[in-house]
Amino acid sequence: MDSFGKRLFIALTPGKTFLDRLQGKTKIRLFFAFILILVATWDMRILFPILIISIIGLISIKPEWKTVRGLTIFTLLMNLFNLFLIWVVSPNYGYSQVGATTVLVRFTETYILSAETLWYFLVRLTKFMATFFVSLTFIQCITPSEMAAGLYGVGIPYKISTVVSLAFRYIPEIARDFNEIKISMQARGLELDSRKSSLITRLKQNVLILVPLIIVSFDRVGNIADAMDLRGYGRMKTRTYYAEHELTKGDRIINIVNVLLYAGFIAIVVVRIVSHREFLIWAPWVK
Amino acid sequence: MREAVVSFKDFSFKYKHQQEATLHDINLDIYRGEKILILGPSGCGKSTLANCINGLIPFSYPGTITGSLTVAGLQTQQSSLFELSKHVGTVQQDSDAQFVGLSVGEDIAFSLENQSMPRSEMLPIVDEAARIVDMERFLTHPPFDLSGGQKQKVALAGILHDAEEILLFDEPLASLDPAMGMTAVDLIDKIHKESGKTIIIIEHRLEDVLYRHVDRILLINDGRIVKDCTPDEMLYSGVLKIYGVREPLYIAALENAGVRFEEGEHLDDIEKIDIDRYRDAVLSEFARSKPYTVGEKGKVVVEVENVDFQYNPDHKVLENVSLTIREGEKLAIVGKNGAGKSTLAKLLCGIIRPISGTIRINGENYLSMSIKEIGQLIGYVMQNPNQMLVKDMIMDEITLALQLNEFPEELIKQRAEETLKMTGLYPMRNWPVSALSYGQKKRVTIASILALQPDVIILDEPTAGQDYRHYTEIMRFLDDLNKNYGKTIVFITHDMHLAIEYTDRALVFADGKLIADDFVYKVLSDKDIIERANLKETSLVLLARKVGLDPEEFIRHFIEREREERENG
Amino acid sequence: MAKKILGNWNTRTIVGVAIGVALFGVLMVYGGVKVFTNTSLTSAYVVVAVVAALFGPVPAAITAGLGNVLADLIGGWGFWFDWSLGNLVLGFFTGLGCVLGSNVKEGVFNTKSAITYALFVLIGCGLGFGVVTPVLTYFFYSSELTITWGQVTAAIISDGLVLLVVGIPLLIALANRNKKFTGLSKD
Repeated sequence: MDSFGKRLFIALTPGKTFLDRLQGKTKIRLFFAFILILVATWDMRILFPILIISIIGLISIKPEWKTVRGLTIFTLLMNLFNLFLIWVVSPNYGYSQVGATTVLVRFTETYILSAETLWYFLVRLTKFMATFFVSLTFIQCITPSEMAAGLYGVGIPYKISTVVSLAFRYIPEIARDFNEIKISMQARGLELDSRKSSLITRLKQNVLILVPLIIVSFDRVGNIADAMDLRGYGRMKTRTYYAEHELTKGDRIINIVNVLLYAGFIAIVVVRIVSHREFLIWAPWVK
Repeated sequence: MREAVVSFKDFSFKYKHQQEATLHDINLDIYRGEKILILGPSGCGKSTLANCINGLIPFSYPGTITGSLTVAGLQTQQSSLFELSKHVGTVQQDSDAQFVGLSVGEDIAFSLENQSMPRSEMLPIVDEAARIVDMERFLTHPPFDLSGGQKQKVALAGILHDAEEILLFDEPLASLDPAMGMTAVDLIDKIHKESGKTIIIIEHRLEDVLYRHVDRILLINDGRIVKDCTPDEMLYSGVLKIYGVREPLYIAALENAGVRFEEGEHLDDIEKIDIDRYRDAVLSEFARSKPYTVGEKGKVVVEVENVDFQYNPDHKVLENVSLTIREGEKLAIVGKNGAGKSTLAKLLCGIIRPISGTIRINGENYLSMSIKEIGQLIGYVMQNPNQMLVKDMIMDEITLALQLNEFPEELIKQRAEETLKMTGLYPMRNWPVSALSYGQKKRVTIASILALQPDVIILDEPTAGQDYRHYTEIMRFLDDLNKNYGKTIVFITHDMHLAIEYTDRALVFADGKLIADDFVYKVLSDKDIIERANLKETSLVLLARKVGLDPEEFIRHFIEREREERENG
Repeated sequence: MAKKILGNWNTRTIVGVAIGVALFGVLMVYGGVKVFTNTSLTSAYVVVAVVAALFGPVPAAITAGLGNVLADLIGGWGFWFDWSLGNLVLGFFTGLGCVLGSNVKEGVFNTKSAITYALFVLIGCGLGFGVVTPVLTYFFYSSELTITWGQVTAAIISDGLVLLVVGIPLLIALANRNKKFTGLSKD
């Protein structure tokens, strides 16, 4: 559990803030509403407010700042690097998305920096960072049990939600086995971090750890399944969840918000289909 | 007339993929409210018997049934797993695998969730079940924070509210330390008395179960019930040893003294035995026998000096530990879970290194050595052989470490041959690993470590989950390695029988500190240490006090006598 | 045949898939082989092959899809439909490859099995990452595809490599474990 526990960004015990105290079902609906809108739209007038809301959401659940900061910087840099690559590959990419070219800087004949490309980059960055903050807030305010209960609550078969909660249940034990097996192989002489051996050799050496890990992990299956069968798992078509508490006032409020968000999502899709813009992205100065 | 809740009539069972039947001609009635212990060596069919009662057979493990089995008025074959689970609750051996929830409350609620019970009805039931097993303060705790004993309590709570008639315990003590084992036996007893449910316990640790009253014992061997009687009659009959079941230590000690019990005597509890009648016999046996002495040991191999270790800054896992290990020693590291036993083992293997203090191997500070280099001096054998076995063939498994260390071809051949002969695996060298029994696999993993010819071998719980016969097989093998090849052997264990019979010295850990480093017989007669380390006072101590002998000396003589017997076959 | 592909969704399969997903997550985070800094080949994909061999293609596909989502979530780097769905497709084809030419559960994995398996892995890589992921990336994110093609090529090479170079020896090892041996004699 030691090192892996800290890498697991999901908390096992529920927190105390407003978002934390919602039902799993409500959280999942809210998460998907945001994700769907974020996928559907390229309109900065929608994306920017969502970015702000997602940041407020993240702050409201009082996460561990050290992890959040590290991840945010990492994601931001990755995205910036991706944008840079896009620029390298097609310097006037903004035209294809916005439909105009206003040159700001001209480096060479082909390498220009246009306002439209910059705008596209800004929109894209907003979209991706908002997705990132929404995901992070979601994972930080839900426990695996609530996730399982919530998935079932929104209509996923409970057999699938069981997979989710069981996976979280056994991740720490598998991580522990993995470490122990790795170390015992190292003691027998396996060198993992050697730069001497080739990639293929190292991949093959990986088998030395994977074989026992996989065998030990799947050895559990029978015992776990028996334990579940003996307590009536799969007995009925429906299931209830100990982790899914009753509807609270907060849930009622967010459920109304959810209805609005899904309506908004449908509106966005309809508008996109009906208006049939020639270029994907709206920019304030392009008519 | 008493009412039978479980009734086997001419019952036999054969697993689908096996040639031979596992259970033969079982005729057995278990009555409402009875508390029954089912004993027998591994593979005798006792777990199969349990799975017939709870319905896993035939619903999860198909096979052929002849005869009939009625459980709580239901013909099991015509019933279903779900129907049976309303009447029979099972606590399985593997307390980790059966904890499927992500918190204590959730796991207790699991069967209620499966019945689609509304949460509001669920909560009071879960609270009540948690209260009965004394876990109500842990309802939100995840399984990773719990000890084996606590997990087992949760498992029990999870069936208490559901199973109306029968509670079935499949080797409940297997992964518990001695003190936790006592608590578990106590808890089962309390539930039996309060609820009046029928209790069926499957165990091979007889003495630990007899810590509380049992109505009847069934002895099973080769799929047949060989004896079905009261505990007193069972102990009087003397058949246990024949079937590889360990007698309680006080019975063994009295028998060593030549005592002949009387028919109908109360033997299941040392307190009930009229020791005065046997005092002379015990005293004269004591005078006749020799005390166990530990021979001269060789040079110092490992020195641990003022070592501290911690994973995070606010909690020291090991604090100021100093000890030495000499060549040819056999020692046991004991203490409750989380006391620092496995941390010490990891430190010795160089997997983790001390925060402060030094560890020297053969006089050299080991900080300069890599895990690989240390691996050639100190070998570590993991608890579950499947964690270590990588290759298909025994020969390949044994040469693997030699190849990874890039030994020359000649030497690999020579070393492999030596190791195979040392471990008695030579005739099987070309066998596939998958054809081996658990004990043989264990032997292969030990051999795979021995191939590097380390001075010290550390074994983590080498006998966990093994019955007395297999346990003896593994331990004798290790004893031979020690005696004939001078290997230093370190056991990490919570099994006190193992410590008594096979080691010279015990290192006792509690809360990260080494609280005792002494001869086993001294440690085991020290009440303070026993309490702090979650050990259990052996019945030998009580017996010694009753006859007026010094417990330490008495244990010492007992150990010697047992060793002599072992050596003479 | 339908059962062979769908898998038998009893408790055992559900637990098997869950263990597969957990293993996938652990190996994603830990089980990488460093290629350069920040780039590693993860051995997580072989878990999919194992689940396929033990439980069938659909359980394997779910393991790959959910495993990827879970790894994304616990890794904290967001949520990528396009890649998860690509993985799902790859998982399904890997699964087909494990079921059609071999029977690991009964100890059968020979040259023919290896070829069938390799073929399906390649088809899966091609369809999953070569078609599904780029189409979805274009559809969802309207991304510049040149870069996606780069990432897709890297994914095909690395995951294909792992599934073949690590997967085949692993499947052979598992099959050997499940072989029944009779008539062994000591010599």
